Amino acid sequence: MSRPSARALFVWTIVWFNLVFLALPTVVVIIASFTAGNIVAFPPDGLSLRWYASLFETDSYTDAFLRSLYVAVICTVISLPVGTLAAIAMARYRLRLAGPIQVYLLLPFTIPLIVSGLGMMLVFGEIRILGQLWPVGFAACAINLPFMIWAVAASVNNLDTDLENAAANCGAPPLVTFVTVTLPAVMPGVITGGLLMFILAFNEFIVSLMLVDARIVTLPVLVYNSIRSVITPDLAAIAVVYIVVALVTIWVLDRLVGLEVFLKSK
Amino acid sequence: MTPGIDTAASNRPLWLRILFAAEATRAALWPERFSPATAWAFLVPAILVVFVLVAGMGYMVDASLRELDRSTFMLSDDYSFANYATVLDRSFYWHIIGRTVAAAVIVTVITLVLAFPYAYAMARTPSAATRKLLLIGLFLPFFIGQVVRAYGWLIVLGQEGLLNSGLAWLGLDAIKLIYTYTGVLIGLVQYMLPFAVLMLAPAVTAVPEEVELASGSLGANWFATLWHVLLPMAKPGLVAAGVVVFTLTITDFAMPEIMGGGTNDFIASAIYDGYFSISEPGLGSALAVLLVLLASTLVAVIFAFVGVGTLGYTKRLER
Repeated sequence: MSRPSARALFVWTIVWFNLVFLALPTVVVIIASFTAGNIVAFPPDGLSLRWYASLFETDSYTDAFLRSLYVAVICTVISLPVGTLAAIAMARYRLRLAGPIQVYLLLPFTIPLIVSGLGMMLVFGEIRILGQLWPVGFAACAINLPFMIWAVAASVNNLDTDLENAAANCGAPPLVTFVTVTLPAVMPGVITGGLLMFILAFNEFIVSLMLVDARIVTLPVLVYNSIRSVITPDLAAIAVVYIVVALVTIWVLDRLVGLEVFLKSK
Repeated sequence: MTPGIDTAASNRPLWLRILFAAEATRAALWPERFSPATAWAFLVPAILVVFVLVAGMGYMVDASLRELDRSTFMLSDDYSFANYATVLDRSFYWHIIGRTVAAAVIVTVITLVLAFPYAYAMARTPSAATRKLLLIGLFLPFFIGQVVRAYGWLIVLGQEGLLNSGLAWLGLDAIKLIYTYTGVLIGLVQYMLPFAVLMLAPAVTAVPEEVELASGSLGANWFATLWHVLLPMAKPGLVAAGVVVFTLTITDFAMPEIMGGGTNDFIASAIYDGYFSISEPGLGSALAVLLVLLASTLVAVIFAFVGVGTLGYTKRLER
């Protein structure tokens, strides 16, 4: 049979190309981080862990890492209730003005990040919170909120409204129904959205660049500033920290929800 | 203790007692007669969060309409379109806009061509392990962030990088990709690929395999099936993926900055420079407003012709 094999050749050639293309920078960074030399070179100048040691000894790196973690936690804590409620309102209820609200709630996505970043810099400056760290977490929530809403809305669309009606029929008041029936049903979406918001805030760069100063620089901004000066292998070690955080997030997502949830249509 | 909700309050477990206390508070603050407005109450926090962006946009529009007074270096008090005139008058900005739009078109086309077979393979592979591997291959770069990935590309494509070391070992001349347009495009395609596949995958999964088999049994070869059946049926996903990749590329900052090193600036870099390098916030804001208009016009045109695809939050609003 020539038909399936032509298909397989076409599809899998591109898939393998993509896999290499996607993984190449990651793999190369891991190799580079173990070099014993002072510059990034191929093949590496011997093997050592000295660049990892230097990470832990450099306060600016550990501080920036902790700040990024703080920003990611703030973003997730705000996004969870805000995005979940909005998604339930959009997908579960018949709203008047649903169209315009949908367009409005997609604004974080249609306004370019550079514009959102500069805009929030002006707003935060006006209300005198520029230069603090928590507004950076709030900003990460504002620009990525559609991801949270999408994730939960996908679960709400799978929710059987008869279950809620049944709970109400059995005498459960609204909040009890919400907590014991609605929330558990949309939990996969809430977890997926929460993890997405966490990792996106942890990686957030361009908006943070506008909102942080030298005292509260976050890790991606620090890496960016270092790339602009000189490329040293300690950045490769930081990159490996990012790879590890990404792998842990993927593992948690897969354990709690299953990565396959992203293949399902709404 | 009897399971479920017992009417006798003393028999309830602690969490239920807390829940009923919360329910009582809810009933006092949000009585049943408010219930038609419940959905709106749910939306208020999200509307407020997004309003910060709207307010920021307002500040930018305001600044874009005020010209820089060169004697005081303050923005003028009265409104004019002078900044827009200046932007549209400088060929420097037209050049940057052209470069950015061209990149967005090229990156969108290449990314969709690469993403479709990947999404198709994920949807159709009979092996759960292969599917998992493809998903991890997608999520790992997606979760690493643009700056770190750009750094990886610097190591791969740089002067002393993996590619050129390999070429030297083979006795070939080095290729200069860092600080070139091609280098920026390579970085961008790799950055956009996970977004595109994730937008496409549900649409491809939703196409029943039987349709494909039917097309095949009627005598179409697979490429004809792809063109006449699969791609049209996956159109909502293709639209969503195309719009996402296009808007993310046209507004991107980090990849042209890092991979281009100042030689291949996009619109976002010009806006940034307006604020922080040449200290002309009015000019930067005018450029920002033009970028928003450009991006949203293009998106609106696409939505008008082919619908919102899978980008909507609800089923009802999709065409």
